Amino acid sequence: MTYEQWSLVISIVTAVACALSGCLLLVNRHAMVSEGISHAVLPGMAIAFYFWRDYESVWLISAAVVCGLVLVWLSSWLSQSGRVQPDAALGIVFSTMFSAGVVFVSLMLRNTHFHADCIIDGNLALASVRQLRLGGIDLGPSAFYSMLACLLALLLWLIVPYKELKLSLLDRHLAERFRLKPRLLLFVSLTLICLTVVVSFRIAGSVLIVAMMIAPPAAAWFLSRHFSQFLTLAVAVAVLSSVTGFYASRRMNIAPTGPIAAASGFAFLLALLFAPGVGLLTTAIRRRRQMGDLRTCLTLSRIRRCEGPFELDSVEDPGERSSLERSLVRCDQAGLLSRTSDGRFELTEPGLVVISQLEAQFQL
Amino acid sequence: MIWLFEDHTIRTVMLGSALVGGISGGLGCFAYLNRQSLVGDVIAHSSLLGIVVAFLAGGTFGLPDGLSLWLLMIGAAVAGLLAALLTQFVTHRTRLPKDAALGVMLAIFFGSGLTLLRWLQRRSPPLPGVAGLDDYLFGMAAATTSRDVLITAALGLPMVILAVFAWNRLKIVTLDAGFASGLGVRVAVWEVVIQIVLVVSIVIGLQIVGVILMIALLITPAAAARQWTKHMGPMTVLAAAIGGSCAVLGAVISSLGVHLPTGPVIVLLLAAVFLASVLFAPRRGLLTFGSDA
Repeated sequence: MTYEQWSLVISIVTAVACALSGCLLLVNRHAMVSEGISHAVLPGMAIAFYFWRDYESVWLISAAVVCGLVLVWLSSWLSQSGRVQPDAALGIVFSTMFSAGVVFVSLMLRNTHFHADCIIDGNLALASVRQLRLGGIDLGPSAFYSMLACLLALLLWLIVPYKELKLSLLDRHLAERFRLKPRLLLFVSLTLICLTVVVSFRIAGSVLIVAMMIAPPAAAWFLSRHFSQFLTLAVAVAVLSSVTGFYASRRMNIAPTGPIAAASGFAFLLALLFAPGVGLLTTAIRRRRQMGDLRTCLTLSRIRRCEGPFELDSVEDPGERSSLERSLVRCDQAGLLSRTSDGRFELTEPGLVVISQLEAQFQL
Repeated sequence: MIWLFEDHTIRTVMLGSALVGGISGGLGCFAYLNRQSLVGDVIAHSSLLGIVVAFLAGGTFGLPDGLSLWLLMIGAAVAGLLAALLTQFVTHRTRLPKDAALGVMLAIFFGSGLTLLRWLQRRSPPLPGVAGLDDYLFGMAAATTSRDVLITAALGLPMVILAVFAWNRLKIVTLDAGFASGLGVRVAVWEVVIQIVLVVSIVIGLQIVGVILMIALLITPAAAARQWTKHMGPMTVLAAAIGGSCAVLGAVISSLGVHLPTGPVIVLLLAAVFLASVLFAPRRGLLTFGSDA
């Protein structure tokens, strides 16, 4: 494969892994923890990089994962101590850890490529350079394999204890009653999420990992009714937006992280507007149509109530008369009514059918 | 230490940071007590899009330098407010958890902001002043000019005056919106006012602390001050004092030439004050807790 194809594949794998771990957080209503983790791993990475000078060393990854877990533990401890508001606790801890990381980088790692730009956008170009060689055969960028390993670990974790995980995410108390150890499941999930953040950090940068984690599951939230559907759709949105974002970034000649994040954000907006059943626009259209149907139903039933043809002038209230007139004209055009020679209204055959249908629909 | 006050540049930097730290720290109490800390984070990140778009617009219409800085601030405020209101809209109208709505706003606003920023930086020939945009990511207090101080004051002081004059309304809506609406306060209107106050107090800090760490300047002083007092008035004053002094100290340290970005230094100082408050504050402190209760 060419260098460009490898970059695209790495982006897709990263986006998918991020989206899957985002699903775990979103269902747990802890979406912004990902923002915290993605900032908090920086000091661990920077310090380990200072000693080992290797992005893929096990030490660097474990130091960073530990930092992520420390953030989760510290912020939940602070909020449980009752001294600090929960979301403020998260904000204070992650901003402090991130600042410590930035200060360390600017003091000790100034002349390496571990500098501020890499922290924000990540560096896909650099990540796809280093090749993995096994027995003299070139297997492609090593970043791909570390990301793939992370994705497989996530998939394994989602598939093997699927129903236990689902129950403990959706109803923790019930899971506790079944002795499923939701706290242990949560701990393993968080460790895997931290791992995903750390491995994608170099590719995607710190600030936009949260976008890639939250936006696809949030879009899938509107489109799905089951947990498995939710996971699948989140992956689909992630793949789509990473492909779109990647090609957009090539056109603009910039790092792909920003475009990928923006694309997944716009995918969310599309889902918000057009999701069947719950989208804002689809709901508005449905409401409007139902209002029209209800108005037709009431008008027709009013005419049916009359003995003989209905006369508009018999309505005394002028406001009611004008709204009724509009509705009558619409029904007349639809062929539900017919006008008698003296300008009065009668129900037609199709009108009778329609009114019985509508009355059944609105249970009138 | 006296020479610090004699140097004009450093004096400007100190004045600017004191204003920003004081105003953002004090007004941050509303965000903290209203459980909107992470909203502040999202507003700060989202304002990047506004800054870049305003920069692009200023460059296109060839505005003079003085006006274009105003334009950046207004752009930042508009984008931040848009993100905050959109979050509110999505959480009210759909079943999406608030956290997730916030994360998505980051994707939309910061994602497109960063995309546009990087695209602008790649353009050749480079637009004049495009290099300065990077400072908004991590903040650069050393670059503060007296015009920046003026703009900060012109934007921030009206918010302070608003907070002083509408104190009772703002306080009751922040602390107990249900009770406020029972008293006949128009909560929806005042919530938008609080959002505007928040957005402005965030926007004025961007140049010194940067979009990424602005949340700390907004809520850490409030969280620290909360440990020392039970009343909102003293808490706000104390938070302003903590924010102002840490911002000044951090700005001076980073301007002394050690090539440290300002934002992180200020945040670390604030974190130290916060830690001390959580541990040692009378009655509430984790170490002093129970010693006199």
